[in-house]
Amino acid sequence: MDEPSRIDIAELTLAYGSEVVLDALNLPVPAGRITVLAGPNGCGKSTLLRAMRRLHAPRSGYVMLDGRDIAGMGGKDLGRQIGLLAQSPSAPPDMTVEELVRLGRYPHQAMLQPWSPGDAEAVERAMAGTGVRELRRRRIGSLSGGQLQRAWIAMVLAQETGTICLDEPVNHLDMAHQIDCLELVTRLNREEGRTIVLVLHDLNLAARYADQLVFVHRGRVVERGTPARLMRADLIAQVFDVEAEIITDPVHGRPLCIPLGRSRPAETEAVPQPA
Amino acid sequence: MSVAVPALPRHRPLTRWTALGVVGALFALLTLAAIGFGSTWIPLEAVANVLLGGGERTERLVVLNLRMPRVAAAAIAGGAIAFAGYLLQRITRNELASPGVLGVVDGAAFGVVLFMAVFSNEANALTVPVAWQPLAAAIGALVAITVVFVLSGRQASSAIRLLLFGIAVAAVCKALTTIFMLVGPIYQASQAARWLAGAVNAINWGEIQIMALCLVPTLLFAGALARNLPPADLDDVSAQGIGLNVPVYRILVFTAAALLTAIAVSFVGGVGFIGLIAPHLARLLVGRARLAGILMAMLLGAMMLMGADLIVRVAFTPLEVPAGTVTAIVGAPYFLFLLMRKDQANG
Repeated sequence: MDEPSRIDIAELTLAYGSEVVLDALNLPVPAGRITVLAGPNGCGKSTLLRAMRRLHAPRSGYVMLDGRDIAGMGGKDLGRQIGLLAQSPSAPPDMTVEELVRLGRYPHQAMLQPWSPGDAEAVERAMAGTGVRELRRRRIGSLSGGQLQRAWIAMVLAQETGTICLDEPVNHLDMAHQIDCLELVTRLNREEGRTIVLVLHDLNLAARYADQLVFVHRGRVVERGTPARLMRADLIAQVFDVEAEIITDPVHGRPLCIPLGRSRPAETEAVPQPA
Repeated sequence: MSVAVPALPRHRPLTRWTALGVVGALFALLTLAAIGFGSTWIPLEAVANVLLGGGERTERLVVLNLRMPRVAAAAIAGGAIAFAGYLLQRITRNELASPGVLGVVDGAAFGVVLFMAVFSNEANALTVPVAWQPLAAAIGALVAITVVFVLSGRQASSAIRLLLFGIAVAAVCKALTTIFMLVGPIYQASQAARWLAGAVNAINWGEIQIMALCLVPTLLFAGALARNLPPADLDDVSAQGIGLNVPVYRILVFTAAALLTAIAVSFVGGVGFIGLIAPHLARLLVGRARLAGILMAMLLGAMMLMGADLIVRVAFTPLEVPAGTVTAIVGAPYFLFLLMRKDQANG
């Protein structure tokens, strides 16, 4: 993929104490595409996503956004460029949906600048796009899982960022709401040209929605490319420790992974190697 | 995933400001009554008359020199500590947080006792101007909250950890305070003990001026910070995602809360429970709205301390019972009630 990249990660090393989570990792995120990060538990994919939004300071290496190192950018500036939906976001249960979505305008507001019509329009668009307009007066604590997730996505949309990162957005959702959520994300990408970065656990969902699929293992990018190229039995065995057969989804034409069993007996968990 | 939400009333702007207006009127009435009550009753219209510049000599003396200072001190201290509690409850996203529980009140009190022990002579008179007393309180408060913060370490965003370390730090400060009162050169230890429990009886205009002068810049600082409270209501990752520098912001808010607490404690002593109850009641009355919530918390806090002082004056005269004992007697059960309700919500 030799397309212009929105985000370029170069030699990124990140550690919690002595535990190296990302190890000299390189990854381009192409503009206007959906990039999906996949990998086993603890491989560093969520950390990688948060590092793109500068929630962790790297030990070395860079995250470049449109050619600028994000380390030197202001927090609100970054908040206007990259939206982030946390893995398990939380808001006070008595906050209303509209109040939550309005918070998405925070990075656009200066110290003494009041709420503008532009802010109100962005909030309306975000709520319309996610179908939560009729929920606007509802309290966060009274929403179902699917409604709650749409409200949070609306909050991120109201930020009006060119790039949106979502950390396991379908984790707690049933099948119908998983599809809803990912179709919504796809629409944002196809219709509005937004760059999307997703962390997904379900390899088949990843293969179905990704333009660029990235396999992360032990803090490194093992392989990246189209799902058709990455969904290979040998690669899946290497990254996920699973013996699998790959067939082609008869409806979407995307590769489909059928796990057969563990490739090695259940053993020591993958521990990141100390540097 | 959905959580049962207590059936809170909807707080429309109109009801919110009406509630604020009603409480404001009650505050004015309580101010007049607090000045009127005492060893001799001065009718409310006479009090109002004196405040407007009229009245006879003895009435003016009693109102302006004897009663007004303690009412003003109660109002300032109650309002300041309520604001501190409001900030702490919002930033920790926990209704159990307060300057008392987080060790700030006892830290400030220890600062003052240490100050009095170091800078007083044999005649129990201060050897340095009393204006330094709030600084001592502020240093004590800031050291206490810093220790709590550092001990909580990387989980400083976990309210439970903060509360546990806060309670521990408060206990240590209390013990140190007791030691200094026993072995230190504070000759009138009983007076210090009464101050520690929260008393407004021995206050004068000079001290109130100092309180007010400290309060104004601190209020401006805290008020400016309060603008960013709504994004801080979210979890840390989401709050940072929309551009709030959460670690720095949290430190600034804790600093503002410590300074507000120090102003209250420096001259009025331990009135911690007001910092727990007032912001909580304010939230019940006006909801999540920020400005109305802060004003409501401050009004309620001021009224609570004024009311507590009024009760001890009317009920215990001629004994000078510290007003803080009343707020503690009411506040401790309230704290237990919140704890039990929290358990229910978690279970």
